Amino acid sequence: MDLLNPYYLQIIMFFIINAIMGISIYFTLASGQLSLGAAGFMSVGAYVGALLSLKVDMPIIVGIIVGGLVAAFVAVIIGLPTTRLKGLYLAIATLGFGEVVRVIFLNLDITNGALGLSGIPSIPQELANYAYEFDFDGLLGLDAVTWGNLMAIIVLLAILVLVIAFCVRINNSRVGRAFAAIKADDHAAELMGINVVYYKMMAFIIGAFIAGIGGGLYAHITNFINPTDFSYHKVVQILLFPVFGGSNVVWGSVLGSFILTLLPEVLRFLSDYRDIIYGALLVVLMAVRPDGILTESMVDKMARKLGCKKEPYIPETQVLTERFEAYKRAQEKQG
Amino acid sequence: MKHSMLKKLALLGLAGVMAIAAGCSNGSDNSANSNEAKIALLTTTTGGAAAYGESIKAGAELAVSEINADANAVKINLLVEDTKGDKNEAINAINKVISKDKVVGVIGPMLSGEMMAAGPVANKSKVVALGTSTTAEGITDIGDYIFRNAVPESLAVDTAIKEAHKTLGFKTAAIMYSNNNDQMVSVNKTAEKALKEAGVQIIDTETFADKDTDFSAQLTKIQQLKPDVIVVASLYQEGALIMKKMREMGMNQPVIGSNGFNSPEFIKIAGSAADGVIVGTPWFPNKDDQKVRDFRKAYAAKYGKEPDQFAAQAYDAVYMYESALKKSGSTTDREKFREALKNIADFVGVTGQFKFNEKGDPNMEVQVLQIRNGQFDALQK
Amino acid sequence: MFLQQLVNGLTLGSLYAVLAIGLTLVFGVLNIINMAHGGIFMIGAFVGLFMVTVFNVNIFVALIVAMAVGAVLGYVLEFVALRPLRKKKVSHLAPLISTIGVSIFIESLALLLWGPQTRSFPPDYIGGLIDFGAFKISMVQIIGLGVSIVLMVLLNFVIKKTKIGKAIRAVSLSTETAALLGINPTMVISITVMIASALGAAAGVLVGLSFNAIEPTMGVIIGFKGLAVLILGGLGNITGAMVGGFILGVAEVFSVAYGASTFRDAVAFGMIILLLFWRPQGLFGSKDKGGRP
Repeated sequence: MDLLNPYYLQIIMFFIINAIMGISIYFTLASGQLSLGAAGFMSVGAYVGALLSLKVDMPIIVGIIVGGLVAAFVAVIIGLPTTRLKGLYLAIATLGFGEVVRVIFLNLDITNGALGLSGIPSIPQELANYAYEFDFDGLLGLDAVTWGNLMAIIVLLAILVLVIAFCVRINNSRVGRAFAAIKADDHAAELMGINVVYYKMMAFIIGAFIAGIGGGLYAHITNFINPTDFSYHKVVQILLFPVFGGSNVVWGSVLGSFILTLLPEVLRFLSDYRDIIYGALLVVLMAVRPDGILTESMVDKMARKLGCKKEPYIPETQVLTERFEAYKRAQEKQG
Repeated sequence: MKHSMLKKLALLGLAGVMAIAAGCSNGSDNSANSNEAKIALLTTTTGGAAAYGESIKAGAELAVSEINADANAVKINLLVEDTKGDKNEAINAINKVISKDKVVGVIGPMLSGEMMAAGPVANKSKVVALGTSTTAEGITDIGDYIFRNAVPESLAVDTAIKEAHKTLGFKTAAIMYSNNNDQMVSVNKTAEKALKEAGVQIIDTETFADKDTDFSAQLTKIQQLKPDVIVVASLYQEGALIMKKMREMGMNQPVIGSNGFNSPEFIKIAGSAADGVIVGTPWFPNKDDQKVRDFRKAYAAKYGKEPDQFAAQAYDAVYMYESALKKSGSTTDREKFREALKNIADFVGVTGQFKFNEKGDPNMEVQVLQIRNGQFDALQK
Repeated sequence: MFLQQLVNGLTLGSLYAVLAIGLTLVFGVLNIINMAHGGIFMIGAFVGLFMVTVFNVNIFVALIVAMAVGAVLGYVLEFVALRPLRKKKVSHLAPLISTIGVSIFIESLALLLWGPQTRSFPPDYIGGLIDFGAFKISMVQIIGLGVSIVLMVLLNFVIKKTKIGKAIRAVSLSTETAALLGINPTMVISITVMIASALGAAAGVLVGLSFNAIEPTMGVIIGFKGLAVLILGGLGNITGAMVGGFILGVAEVFSVAYGASTFRDAVAFGMIILLLFWRPQGLFGSKDKGGRP
């Protein structure tokens, strides 16, 4: 049962939370907005969730959902002015929002300032208690703590699947097509009669909600949060998940967070050289695959292979042109 | 053509890294030795707080090499893990050393915040974690398996302020502290309380953030108010910069520093501006004690610099573990190890006589030092 | 006290300005945010320090050497992290991440080479405090302020009056048109990144001199402030970066002097959010040109 030791289970939990955070960024990216506010919304969700379960004894799940809703509400307020901003202005303004939120949490009494909130009820621990109650202890040779961890992973995984399903559903709907149109060219989208501000706001708010949920989960997994957890470094870390894995598809965030959560652990033996390699890897990856590892066409291809998607209609002329170009390339290679 | 080759190279590189990683992890499993105790040191050797982590690592490694050279001692295999000053990394690292490497005890993590996050993991797994520099309040409340030999700020700063007040008799004070550092927020609370108890009026409180370098605005403000004494709570890097700026601006008040000021690096950075700093600490490098002299000599010989308080406390922590391992008579039994460590008595390290109180906090004597002519000395008027 | 705090603010602001100009130049020409700027800034500080401590040269010589090293690093940065991306048509995310990678690389390399300890210029290297009665100013502050202003004037001259300056402006307006007019965009881009990096390195020496804290992570927080200035002044606008730098420096110092120091770090970005409500393109950025110089 070596595979089920708490070290690996903990990494899996972090991976799932990271994937949820990555998807929250993916959502805004999908509508052509580079928002770096994820860490800010995450901290809102984390603090609200933690405070609700610490101060008023609310069930964890309720706290997390309320945290997500509060984050979404905050997104409505700051989204009104910021969704008017373009490109990097939006990036820095949302980055600034995160910084302001961090300083506010640092100065509030209820958040205990820099000392942070400790003793937040932990999901695995609570589930382990259920495991004792229902006599899971010793079942299949696993103790209650392992059962608690396993059940926590199942719960997290369920949430992740729900979030992904939601994304896939949206992508295949009118809303998703509107996002794609705005991403490709927001002026053209506007001319086609798409309400750009409305859809941008929508993406922004949904992204914030997901980030808030991710924050709540984070608080209830690590048992302790303080404002430093949600600094600039966190933003960069979260942003790397979708960009590394592939920023055009939802699976990219999942893959990116999987690799980037695992990589530091795999590279642990390098100790002091770990960051050097990490930095170099980012540069190389961007040079080789600037859109991240997974791209839209790759995912389409795989989906077709798995039979989830029908072959798209391609005009005959395009097929012929492509064949001709492939032939020309082959010729060049030989000569 | 060119870029497909690049792609292949990149993939090859990645595969290589993975292969090395797999090879290494297999290798380390085989090296386990039954009469060797595995101990993990979690510290920060990269990232913003690396300067402090390096000292801790150096102190601990010096102790381990001395212990392993001694035929009578229990052999120690020290695994050093970098936590980057990051909570997640600390949780992952402590999980790794407990579940995968199966260490008998953990030293660290280094920062109070990391301990707050990683401590519960150790406590849940019933493995001892001993903080050597976690001075914030509430650390040992995490549980029965959490100890520290770091003197809590509530003790060190309290003593420093009271002693200084007795000797210098000041009436007004200003406080400057780093407000994004949990330990320094603790210091601020302690200092406010201690100053009030001593009947000193606090006329101004200013804050800054870790890694700040410009303190002119805060100091200009304090200068106008002319306090008799200034309490500064920060790590030594910011502390030294504050001292320099203060002396440059012509502010010659005595300064009471938090316990991190007790470092040769502090004096090195601040230079002559360090004179007049008062600090409460268990580590007194100029103490007339053979152990301290030997430690300083060995440290200087190995690393070519003077040890600081971080190194001294890590050094003591390893010796404490060694003596607990000896008493418990096992190199793997975590429960026996905790019992032995908890009941440690008559342990004398380079930071003096030591024992734990019932919470796992240190019970030790705090000395109040003052810097004069670039040297730590006993407090005088 | 008001005058003294104003002096403090202006000195800080001049350093922010020099740093931000480098960022804004690169943005103007390439339309990317160079996250590696803080790393080059840090290397510049170390080079300046070593020139002074090891080779015992005058501070101005040290500054020039640091700028030269910065320019070389800028070329390497452009060649390694930006050029490969420019050949493909990529979103502005890729160069952002690529330069973040470079900054992580530089920072951890510096940590390995030089260790995490804070270093400083020799004590009393440039001593002296001049007392004007109403305020005091140190020699270090004068050098910081003076050199920054000289650099800004020089840069303005280069951009406005020289041939290469014209080429830089042309490329920033349209790379394709500039190429048609016989300008070699690759060369111009390289030179721009080199100038920007030299300025970054100079800012590093000045900050190292002013605050005496040179260590591998010094570029992170100040680089972050540089971003704030960049947006405040308007992306790609050089005048904007200068004015923005001074505004931020003074605002930060005054927030401590007349407000609460606990909110100092929120001032920079709080100001930006408020400003963007009113002018979404920053102070000096113009809508039609996309805020370019």
